Amino acid sequence: MQAAVYAVELEGDWSLWVSLHMNVDRIWWSGTRGERDGWNNRAADKLVLLSSALPLGWAVKLREHWDSSRAARQWQEEDWGRYMAEVLRTEIDVERRGGGSLNVGGLYTEVDENYRSAIGCEKGICADVLGAAAEQLMQVLDGRSLLQPEVEALLEEQLPGLAGQWRAAVQLCHLQGRLSVEAAVGAAPVLRSTGAWHTARATSARLLGAGRFPAVTGRLLRTAALRLPQLRLLRRGAGARRAEERCLRCGSAPTGRTACAACGLVGCAYCEACLALGRSRACALLLRSAASPAVRCTAGASPTVAARRWGLSAAQAGAAGAALGFLAEPRQRSAARSPERFLLWAVTGAGKTEITFPLLAAVLAAGGRALVATPRRDVVLELAPRLAKAFPAETLAVLYGGSADRWTHGQLTLATTHQLLRFYQSFDLVIIDELDAYPYHNDPMLAYAAEHACKPGGSFIYLSATPPTDLQRLARAGKLPHARVPVRFHGHPLPVPRHVGMSSVHVCLKRGALPGNLLQALRRSFARKAQIFLFVSRIAHIEGLLVLLRQDFPGAAIEGTSSRDPARAEKVEAFRSRAISLLVTTTILERGVTVPRSDVFILDADSSLFDEASLVQMAGRAGRSKEDPAGTVLFFSPQWTKSQRGAVAQIRTMNTIARRQGYISKGAGL
Amino acid sequence: MMSTWFQVAKSLLAPSASDCLICGKKAQVSSEIPEVCKICQTSIPWIRNPRCSKCGRHVGCPDCSRSGDPGPIVCNRSAVAYTSVMREVLGQYKYRGNERLAPVLGLMLDRAYTVLQAERGQLRGEGSRQIHSKLPAIKGKFKRIGRASLWQADLLVPVPVSDARLAERGFNQAERLADILSRHRRIPQLPLLVRTHHTGKQSFKSRAERLADMKHAFAANPDLAIRAEFVYWLESAGLQTQSQPLQIIIIDDIYTTGSTIRACAETIHELAGSLGCTAEIYSLTWARS
Repeated sequence: MQAAVYAVELEGDWSLWVSLHMNVDRIWWSGTRGERDGWNNRAADKLVLLSSALPLGWAVKLREHWDSSRAARQWQEEDWGRYMAEVLRTEIDVERRGGGSLNVGGLYTEVDENYRSAIGCEKGICADVLGAAAEQLMQVLDGRSLLQPEVEALLEEQLPGLAGQWRAAVQLCHLQGRLSVEAAVGAAPVLRSTGAWHTARATSARLLGAGRFPAVTGRLLRTAALRLPQLRLLRRGAGARRAEERCLRCGSAPTGRTACAACGLVGCAYCEACLALGRSRACALLLRSAASPAVRCTAGASPTVAARRWGLSAAQAGAAGAALGFLAEPRQRSAARSPERFLLWAVTGAGKTEITFPLLAAVLAAGGRALVATPRRDVVLELAPRLAKAFPAETLAVLYGGSADRWTHGQLTLATTHQLLRFYQSFDLVIIDELDAYPYHNDPMLAYAAEHACKPGGSFIYLSATPPTDLQRLARAGKLPHARVPVRFHGHPLPVPRHVGMSSVHVCLKRGALPGNLLQALRRSFARKAQIFLFVSRIAHIEGLLVLLRQDFPGAAIEGTSSRDPARAEKVEAFRSRAISLLVTTTILERGVTVPRSDVFILDADSSLFDEASLVQMAGRAGRSKEDPAGTVLFFSPQWTKSQRGAVAQIRTMNTIARRQGYISKGAGL
Repeated sequence: MMSTWFQVAKSLLAPSASDCLICGKKAQVSSEIPEVCKICQTSIPWIRNPRCSKCGRHVGCPDCSRSGDPGPIVCNRSAVAYTSVMREVLGQYKYRGNERLAPVLGLMLDRAYTVLQAERGQLRGEGSRQIHSKLPAIKGKFKRIGRASLWQADLLVPVPVSDARLAERGFNQAERLADILSRHRRIPQLPLLVRTHHTGKQSFKSRAERLADMKHAFAANPDLAIRAEFVYWLESAGLQTQSQPLQIIIIDDIYTTGSTIRACAETIHELAGSLGCTAEIYSLTWARS
């Protein structure tokens, strides 16, 4: 889109503004609306319109580069033109070289000096109505980071009355300092890296200033806030050219560039990383609300009371207590720029979800907003009824691609990690489940989204049975507060995998026969009526194995499934209900599936496609029920690799810790 | 530290397998279509032999046999059948804005042009007029020199989108497709049409609603420069004086009921008439539903 950009002088200070609706700005700066709620009562001395329609990215850049110390007081038309040409030099160059038809000369001639000309601009705008509309708008946009089409979709659903005049209402909120108007792709300020965080905070200084006058109090920001000195380093020459362009919504570098009919440029940059949520481009409007301060949980919540209320085991209660202590802790850096983190390292089958209940309850009781995010949509669908049951009094928003709650404002939100791109400094507590799972793991975009969804003074809790090695290292070094749940909810130790030498599946398929030790082990599992997970490393092996297995066990219900199988959900269901007794599958079932009385067989366990975490997860499918807590886990492979060794060691360590802490129930020892 | 260094080194040495534009997976790229993997390439539902000679549909077509009226277009040809996979691909391009797909779709449309060209050639024999001999000779190893008798269109006209849609999307998919075909085949393209009113998303409407909506949805482009260009092109190519009609192809992404194409064709007929020439109008669309 294109937007207007103007400079305004208020008591000797000049500031630059981007406008989506110039008439609203003219009324605002006329200062004649002082009596009415939501409007400014101090008149500007001078207003200079630099351009009525500039590509939004350019307009925002002019604003971001503005240095209030400039002696703009004496500036003439040519001076403004020079300023614009200087700041936009790179952009204009790129555009000229690309053969753009945008009239760059227009930048200089369009400068229009305007003194208090509010007369006649109120046509079609009723200030009172607009003030009320801005209030409503802020309620639905609180904690959001949305592109224009998303704003329009949200308003259509939540405030249909505002659908036609949202630009005016947005502009008023922007002038009030409650909403930032950004170009979705633009130069990111210098990154300040804090440890393992990839941060790309692109909050404008104006918005940070506004944050000191919390909108939460309901009182409006006075113009004083707008006069806070803005410290900004004007980067010139090579430095300015090197200023990295970023997608403000997802933090990725924009890799696409295209001719754009919306802003008129031949090279409008766009982000290809977050296309799935609508295109973020250099001229796309991104609206973000100003954050309200994070709530602090009271230290009063006793872990034992919480344990009783939520029916936690001793090990679960211990971890919940540690996490509650973390939440209540006063933050060391009062003006923390990034949220504090806590790792909850709970073995497979420990009952992680229950442990989070007292934490969510504590934040909700303090009046905060809480989020539970997970990379996987099926986990969201499974958790939704459990959370709804645990917190019947709270509004719960369940978000995933295509969910009906898309624009619902929930005190408690359950979402896939992709959905976090639509939030900005919104939550007091963010719990990320299975942070080591695909696609969250190794995706800086989702980590960026998660961090931005959390309030700067808020808290992060990571849940995992197999945390990534860097987090494990930080925890071990004492740099990351954490708690371990080393035992399953039923108090029995984890089944320790055993290694069985076997030639690779590829060789077996070629030979057309399965080795005796595999068949023998399978026979034992069939005999004890166990449900058998048979993991393979390659989808291509499934069909061949099914043929051989059906020959060897003609009576058994044997099926195979993979990510390419359209009937996957039905087969998993049939496996759960014991209609299928042996399921040949890939790592797609390594997590989230709980089948009572199950044994786990991993073929080609030395494959590079199975890392330590995925071996631990697959082994974690066995022995999950109270009735059959032991289960058999076998690694079949020609080689005994580092990953297999690591997985066994990790499982053994957890069992040892559990025993030492007395969490293994009596008579359940190995 | 060491491992990251090692990973970087390894990634530099490894052969580059790129992500397939259709399925998103890393796989070996097909030889025919750039940036599309072999599995996806073999599953493209090409319309090689249309069942309906009028609208180019791959299955029997009640719409065309319903009315005996010849209609404003000679025929439509489409590259692919609009299956759910193709719908997803078009959605990725048009609604999500993944413009890296444009060359792929353009190349696919180019195949439909080949089909149309072959059919026209068979129908007309050697008698077709050659305007392209007037253009500078096209050289290149992919051009089949010596096949000058092939039928060629004179002009491509993309179906326009409304200003609101253009601002929202940032591009007109039909124009981008026409651009690619135009460059590839050396056929000029002109935006002769504009959309006079915003008809809303066609995909939410029934057949009857679409037909009613489309009446007067298009008009000749009021931009005088475009009109002047058109007149100049007619004169310089000496087309106005010839008795044979202009061969014009309307380009769009999808043909559903054909109402959009017919409305455009009628407007072009009027425009050509006002300039004293006649036109035979075809349409080429990426998909046929």
